[in-house]
Amino acid sequence: MGQQALVRVYDVHKYFRRGGEQIDVLNGLTLEVPPGQFLALMGPSGSGKTTLLNLIAGLDKPSAGEIWVGDVKVSALSESQLARWRTRNVGFIFQFYHLLPVLTAYENVELPLLLLPMSAAERRRQVLTALDLVGLSDRLYYRPGQLSGGQQQRVGIARAIVTDPTIVVADEPTGDLDAKSAKEILDLMVELQRALDKTIIMVTHDIRAAERAQRVLHLDKGRLVEDGPMPVPRSVPVTDRSTP
Amino acid sequence: MFFKLFLLMLKNLRRHLLRTSLTAVATMVLVFVVILVWSILYFLDVVTQERAKDLKAIVTERWQIPSQMPFSYADSLSRGAASKPDDIVPDDSMTWQFYGGTLDPNKRTRENLIFFFAMEPKKLRTMMDDLDTLDPELIRKMEQNKRGVIVGQERLKALNKRVGERFTVSSLNYKGIDLEFEIVGVFPQGRYDQSAVMNRDYLNDALDDYYRKRGVRHPMHDRTLNLVWLKVPDSRAFARVAEQIMTSGLYTQPAVKCETAASGISTWLDAYRDLIWGMRWLLSPAVLVTMALVVANTISISVRERLTELAVMKVLGYRPWHLLVLVLGEALLVGGLSGAASAGLTFWVINHVFGGLKFPIAFFPEFLVPRASLWWGPVLGAATAVAGSILPAWTARAVRVSEVFAKVA
Repeated sequence: MGQQALVRVYDVHKYFRRGGEQIDVLNGLTLEVPPGQFLALMGPSGSGKTTLLNLIAGLDKPSAGEIWVGDVKVSALSESQLARWRTRNVGFIFQFYHLLPVLTAYENVELPLLLLPMSAAERRRQVLTALDLVGLSDRLYYRPGQLSGGQQQRVGIARAIVTDPTIVVADEPTGDLDAKSAKEILDLMVELQRALDKTIIMVTHDIRAAERAQRVLHLDKGRLVEDGPMPVPRSVPVTDRSTP
Repeated sequence: MFFKLFLLMLKNLRRHLLRTSLTAVATMVLVFVVILVWSILYFLDVVTQERAKDLKAIVTERWQIPSQMPFSYADSLSRGAASKPDDIVPDDSMTWQFYGGTLDPNKRTRENLIFFFAMEPKKLRTMMDDLDTLDPELIRKMEQNKRGVIVGQERLKALNKRVGERFTVSSLNYKGIDLEFEIVGVFPQGRYDQSAVMNRDYLNDALDDYYRKRGVRHPMHDRTLNLVWLKVPDSRAFARVAEQIMTSGLYTQPAVKCETAASGISTWLDAYRDLIWGMRWLLSPAVLVTMALVVANTISISVRERLTELAVMKVLGYRPWHLLVLVLGEALLVGGLSGAASAGLTFWVINHVFGGLKFPIAFFPEFLVPRASLWWGPVLGAATAVAGSILPAWTARAVRVSEVFAKVA
C-alpha cells in the first residue's frame, strides 16, 4: 500500500452459534485501509459486510484474527475499553439515522461529546462547527420529527464527525433516502472526506453510492472476492475518482 | 454530563406523557394506601412500645373487662399502695371514671351522645398526652365550677353547642343520674376532638346524693372507678409499684392488676391481632409489590420501545452503567416525585381537611398521619420504582448493539 495502513484486519474469522449449528460469517478475511481513504464494502445479503464493519468499529469482537486501527489492537480491547475507544475514534452513520427523537439536532450532535472531558463552551463550538459543515446551522433546535430524511441524515453525519474521529463507518447511509437526498448525502460525505481527510468505510448495496468511493471491496460468504479499483493515493484529489 | 443525562431522563419521561402520568397517578394512589396503613401501624407501635423512663402504669380490675373498681381504691392506688417507709410512691396519678349519656333521651342519635372522662381537672395538664399547654384558666374554671366541662371541637360541633352554654345529660351508664353541665372551654384541635372531660367530684357527689335521697346506693356505686394511671420514673420503679399493688391486701374484692400503658393497650389490641397482622404483612407488601409491578410494566415497555436508541448510545460510547443509570433514573424520578407528592397530599388532606383517619380500632377512634410519612412517600415511591425497574434497566444495560441493528435492518 505504500504507507502504513490505518485499519488492518488480519485473518479474521467470525462465527455465530444458532442451536448446535455454527454459522461462519467471516472466513479468514484480511484487509488494509490506508488513512484518508473512502472505502465501500459491497456484497449480497449475508456476505458479512456489516459484520466486518461492526468488527472494525469495535461493536463486536472477532472469533479469531486481529484487527488494528492505528496503534490500537481493537480486537484485544475489553467492552469498556472499546466503549471509550469508540467515543474518541469512531464516528457512526446509520441507514435509519437513529437520532434520539426527544433531542434537538444540537443535542443529538452533542451526545457523544458529553462523554469527553471538555468545557461547555468548547463543546458548543464543536457542535456548531459540525452542524455548520453539514449545512444545518439554521436547524439547531429542530427535533428529528421536524426534519426531512436527508436533513436527519445530515444531523447523523454531524454527530459522526463532531468528535473528530479516526474513522467514520457508515452502514447503508443512503438506504432510506430518495435519489436526490442520497446524492446530497454522498456529496457531503465525499466533501467531508476530502476536507477533513477522514477515513470512511461504507457498507452499501447501491452501486451509485459505491462509485463515489475511492475503493470498493466485494465480499461473498465471508471472503473478500474482489478488491478494486486500486486505492487512489492520498495525494490525488478525491474528485478524480468520486465525481462520475 | 450528569445534568445532561438528567435532562435526557426528563425528556424521555415527557415522551409519553399519558403513560408517565398514569404511572405517577397509580404510584400516588398506592403510596396513599400504604401511608394510611402505616399511619395506623405506626401509631399502634408507638403506643404499645415500652418506654424506659416516665412510664405510665395502668391499674385495672384483674378479671373483668370493662374494669369497674370501687372508688375507695382510688386514694391508696394513687399512692401505689405504699404502706412501708421504703415503698415507692408514684410521681403522679390520675383516676378515670366514665360517664356517658344523651342530650335527648327520647331521640337518641349519634350527634346528641356524649361520653365524659371524669377526673381531677388539674391532672389534665400533668397526665394527659399533649395537654401540657392547656390553658390553666380552663382547669381553674372546672375546679371552681364542678359542672364545668371541656369538650373537643368536633363533639361540640356535633352537639351544636358553644362555650358558655349549659345542657343536661340523661345518663346511659349511670341510670337515674342525670347531670347538668356547663361548657367552660374546648380542647385544642387534634386528638381530643371527640373527647370530653368532667370533674370527677361532680359524678361522685351525684352518687352520694342519690344515696341520700333514695336511701339505697346506686347499682354502680361501688363500680365507678374504671382505671388508675400512675406515673413512675423508670421500669425499676414500675416493677416495685406493681408488686406493691399486686401483693397488697387492700384490693381483693375485686382483685386488680397493674401493667404498663403499653402492655395494657397491647392487651386491648389483642382482639385486633389478626387484622393488624394482615395490614402489616399482607396488605402493605401486596400494595408495595403492586407498585413495583406498575413501574416495572411501564419501564419495560419504555425500554423495549427504545432498544435501538439505547444501542445507538452504546455505539456512541456510552457505557452499560450509563444506560443503567438512565433507566433507573427515569423510574426513580417518577416513583420518588409521585411518592413525595402523594405523601404531602395525604398528610395535608387527612390531618388538616378530614382531621384524622376514621378507622376505629380498640379505643382509638381515629389516626393522624405522622410527619414521618413525608419521607415514607418518596422513599417508598423511589424504592419500589428501583425494584420494579431493575430488570428492564439491566436489559438496557446489556443491550447487544449488533443484534439490535441486525433486527432493525
